[in-house]
Amino acid sequence: MDRIVNGIARGVFVFLYIPIVAVIVYSFNAAGTNTRFDGLTLQWYVELFQDASLMQTLRTSALVAVITATVATIIGIMFALGLARYRGRGRGALMALIALPLIVPEIVLGVALLSVFSTTKMPLGILTLVLGHLIVSLPLATLVLMSSAAMLDPSLPEAATDLGCTPWQTFTRVYFPLLRPAVVAAWLLSFTTSFSNIVMSTFLSGVGSTTLPLKIYSSLKTGLTPSINALGALLILLTLVIVLLVGVSQMRRILVESRT
Amino acid sequence: MTATTRAIHLGRQEKPKRGSLLLLIPGIASVVLLGVLPLFIVARNSFAVADDYGGITDGLTLENYAKLLDPVYSKTLLFSLGLGLLNTVVCLVIGYLTSYYIVSRPTNRQGFLLLLVIIPFWTDFLVRTFAWITILGSGGPIAGILGIFGIAGFSVIPSNLAVVLGLLYSFLPTAIFPIYASMRSIDPSLKEAATDLGASWWGVHRRVILPLSSPGILGAALLTFIPTMGVFVIPVLLGGGKDPLVGNLIVTLYTEFRNQPMGAAVSMVLLVLMLASMALVGLALKRSSTKRTTTKKTEA
Repeated sequence: MDRIVNGIARGVFVFLYIPIVAVIVYSFNAAGTNTRFDGLTLQWYVELFQDASLMQTLRTSALVAVITATVATIIGIMFALGLARYRGRGRGALMALIALPLIVPEIVLGVALLSVFSTTKMPLGILTLVLGHLIVSLPLATLVLMSSAAMLDPSLPEAATDLGCTPWQTFTRVYFPLLRPAVVAAWLLSFTTSFSNIVMSTFLSGVGSTTLPLKIYSSLKTGLTPSINALGALLILLTLVIVLLVGVSQMRRILVESRT
Repeated sequence: MTATTRAIHLGRQEKPKRGSLLLLIPGIASVVLLGVLPLFIVARNSFAVADDYGGITDGLTLENYAKLLDPVYSKTLLFSLGLGLLNTVVCLVIGYLTSYYIVSRPTNRQGFLLLLVIIPFWTDFLVRTFAWITILGSGGPIAGILGIFGIAGFSVIPSNLAVVLGLLYSFLPTAIFPIYASMRSIDPSLKEAATDLGASWWGVHRRVILPLSSPGILGAALLTFIPTMGVFVIPVLLGGGKDPLVGNLIVTLYTEFRNQPMGAAVSMVLLVLMLASMALVGLALKRSSTKRTTTKKTEA
């Protein structure tokens, strides 16, 4: 029986990589269609960078993702440090509250924010996108930082205070260097969460603030072009870079150990 | 201890506590203002009356919920429920077997296998979806191969089969992580002991591994079931939009029909289902843990 399970599991790993390999292979396909393979070309990548409207959406997405990731990481650091030192009642409730947006279906969070913005007559644009992306990336950033902050030796900041450090100095000289891997991980994960977000953006982007995923989605509705494969291959590359930057061991801690 | 040193001492103990409370405020405020309160507004809007301009009037009505029974909506709700359940079961079964495979590898190989699951998990959701158009679509390699055999113009896309495949591909990694997490903490000697005592492969799984990994399996179910119903990209791109899911319904109601109260009512269904399945999972976890402790007691 174990042999059958092994066979199935190997099949699963093939299944997980068929689409990824297909996108990369076809992004270099000289034939304009996926039916034939006419040799290698970089033509689709060149076309990608010549597409002005696509580049505009790329800029929007990058801007929103950088702001979102930075804000989420700062709030996350504060929350993680605050919670690590907080010994009062309601710790569990606070942790549940910060993780809440991970459990509520994202689409419901999206329409909820849209309702707020339409009631308050707030125009949809970069700001509403950032707020929407913030609520879905903040829990992730905070959970990453919380698991690292919990492992800090509480006597270190005490020692720093005893040696005359101001709270800010304690943060920059003690906490930050110790938390740096988690801070990098939290920022990068928030960045990708925002950069590839489609659900929140569907409701919260306005005229002139179309994000890259929205642009890809709307062009896919009319059909797949070889350029989109090239774009997909670049996004896969971005994922690889981010996973490696965050580090496999840290990635594992976030996805596996936070669930036990 | 003099009064001043005590004051200093007290001061130092009090200060970090108040400081730490201040640090928590931005996080709490973000979740409350951008998450909790907006959800209450959706709840309120689900009882409101739509005006002709995409806004809402002050009225209070149950009509939006009554309309959910209309075949237009109930068909989609039931279809989503069915597809959500199907996807959950498939993800759990394959996720269970894959986790079991990973856990039974040597520890140094497990990290690599997990990395192989992490990469597709973090890959852009849209890329993961349109990759299937590349493979299964009318211009794709599958259609090309069939074309050689004289079956021309064949395409798996759009079809519900493609939707099922796309959903499985999107949610399988999500299901693997929690199951792997709880399987990893099972003492391998339990499996050996069960085998030594004559348990078959099925016996080992049914009596040892499955019950002990149930927290992870239930967690995986929670992370798969409700999010599946909220998906709207996959039914459009892989299913041609013929059979919408609850997610498509919400997008259409909000962005095309501009019927906020109706959209809010549909969103509330999703929210209530989420709360119900969370309660169910919580109950199941409690039962399995009390069952385990009572068996332990009777054995003792």
